[in-house]
Amino acid sequence: MTIAPELAEPVLEELRQVLGDEHVLTGKAARFNRARVPAPFPVHRWAERVPDLVVLPGSTAEVSEVVRIANAHRIPIVPRDGGTGLTDGAVPLRHGIVVDVKRMNDIKEIDEVNRTCTVGTGINMLKLNEVLGKYGLIYPDDPASYPCSLVGGRIGTSGWSLIGSRYGHSRDLVLSFDFVLPSGKVIHLGDGAGHKLSKSSSGYQLKHLFMGHQGTLGIATEATLKLFPKPEAELSPFFAFPDYDSAYRTVGQLARAGVATFAGAVLFDEWKVDYLRRDDEAYISQPADVRALVCAVAYGYEDEVIAGGRRLMRIAKENGARYLGDEVSEGDWAARHDRYATPLHGRTKAGQVVPMSWHCEDAAINYSNLPQVRIEWHEIVRKLRERFDMFDDWGMFTYTSANTGVDYLAEIDVGIWEQQLDDESWAAWVQAKKDIAAVALHYGGSISACHGSCREGEVDLVPQELGGGYDVMLDVKRAIDPNNIMNPGKYGLDRAYQLDEGVGR
Amino acid sequence: MSTYRYSEQSQPPDAKQITDVAIERFDEVFEVDPKLMSAHVVQQVFPNWDTLRIVASRHDHLDWMHRHWAEKVVSGQRLLDELED
Ligand SMILES: Cc1cc2nc3c(=O)[nH]c(=O)nc-3n(C[C@H](O)[C@H](O)[C@H](O)COP(=O)(O)OP(=O)(O)OC[C@H]3O[C@@H](n4cnc5c(N)ncnc54)[C@H](O)[C@@H]3O)c2cc1C
Repeated sequence: MTIAPELAEPVLEELRQVLGDEHVLTGKAARFNRARVPAPFPVHRWAERVPDLVVLPGSTAEVSEVVRIANAHRIPIVPRDGGTGLTDGAVPLRHGIVVDVKRMNDIKEIDEVNRTCTVGTGINMLKLNEVLGKYGLIYPDDPASYPCSLVGGRIGTSGWSLIGSRYGHSRDLVLSFDFVLPSGKVIHLGDGAGHKLSKSSSGYQLKHLFMGHQGTLGIATEATLKLFPKPEAELSPFFAFPDYDSAYRTVGQLARAGVATFAGAVLFDEWKVDYLRRDDEAYISQPADVRALVCAVAYGYEDEVIAGGRRLMRIAKENGARYLGDEVSEGDWAARHDRYATPLHGRTKAGQVVPMSWHCEDAAINYSNLPQVRIEWHEIVRKLRERFDMFDDWGMFTYTSANTGVDYLAEIDVGIWEQQLDDESWAAWVQAKKDIAAVALHYGGSISACHGSCREGEVDLVPQELGGGYDVMLDVKRAIDPNNIMNPGKYGLDRAYQLDEGVGR
Repeated sequence: MSTYRYSEQSQPPDAKQITDVAIERFDEVFEVDPKLMSAHVVQQVFPNWDTLRIVASRHDHLDWMHRHWAEKVVSGQRLLDELED
């Protein structure tokens, strides 16, 4: 127990006073359900990650009180929102208190004049957009976990959006937020003295520092978000190619075309096409000579989507694309917002279907390096599968991140038969993750474009990616959280507290 | 109105082999070949109406998703036809 037995009752009593009995959960179901996230892990070690208790605060003031109590008693605290993060951010590695912010899900203001809304960070984007739609507005943060990830988790991870090439990603869309520091003190982060600026030049740009920290610096409780007109029209053509090279060329040209309504494009490589042919995720009927796929998406007013769409279709046609038809195109795009529908099974080497969890290794990679990264990543997974029949290569997607085509989110999906994992195969997987991350860095990329890089394996290479910036990260962590109560054990930040002992850096 | 008959509902239509690992019993409803689901994940008996209900509700969900994001969907085929004219 991280809450010493002699402390447990008094602490519980203090928390109940603040939150009410029903919002302090000590039962097994409440705790075990918040021990993990969807990323696979050796389930025989589940008990290592179970929190001592779960609290469900209803306001910034309550979060602040909870954090103050935890800090006073030096109890680890882990913020948790949708629990969909794929880098174990919301996993309580040192047990302690999980602060589940889902009750804080109200819409406090919709400002139609300045085009913003202010929400509790426990709200989900889909639910928010159902309300905003009535005003003809949309909050276009669109991860493939759209129906189940929440605004606070988007802040905690500095998330990536499928349509970010048109609208920006979480860091562009979140204007400002209220934030509880590890002392319990509440500050407001964002540009300007109010809540609604998108650009200032005053002082340090703290908003970015307090996004993507995986809950290691504190808890965001209320956020002001940038809104757009709800698009009048959507276009999502889906094209087939006889080889990877022509699909790769096409995706690059689509992204570089400078079409204003272009919101994103996705390239499916040969391995992904084979995976789809197995019907493990979705079966797309296609001739045997199809080796790669590209889908593109555009949003805006109908006239501008049609004008931009003509250009996108021409580019694809000139590159030898075969259009897969409206039904497949539209159906596949609608399914991209919700990849939880993945059936979650894979294959043994003999081809038998086995239950598997999905693991997504993502990286940020420049366009020119994508082909080589792809070859090296598949080779790493091939070697792993050769040794252990519990890993399966589910292929790669590459998604545009920006409207100029500069960088892409490259993702290799690996199926893992979790129930079969033992210490040896887990160690091999951790090494493979490290190798995958090393390839991304070798080609000048980042270990993650999307959900962060604090799982075993990849986390070891974060100092290499950030260089001297990692030392600054250690200094910031120690200055803001002197007792290391905020999500301890993540990002190797324990080193920040060992500096005096000559360990660290 | 058609009559519900258990025997009809529990007997799926004959499978068409689509690839060496996928079959099709209902139009455009693809399934993993059952011979690959015999060791670790065993297939359940599923009434026909339930299979079709799940497929239909998935389509409903996807239609809902389009409406959620935009008022209308532009046909890629139409744009392509214009290009080819
Ligand atoms: C099917 C699927 C598809 C996905 N697709 C994408 C994608 O396209 N793009 C993408 O970016 N990610 C994607 N992800 C990963 C995940 O959805 C994102 O990382 C998301 O931002 C996590 O949000 P959450 O609400 O689930 O947060 P959680 O998992 O609960 O938390 C994530 C991290 O943020 C911290 N945190 C949570 N709440 C707060 C808070 N209020 N204040 C401070 N820190 C907090 C947590 O401690 C944790 O470290 C996907 C995941 C799945 C399962």
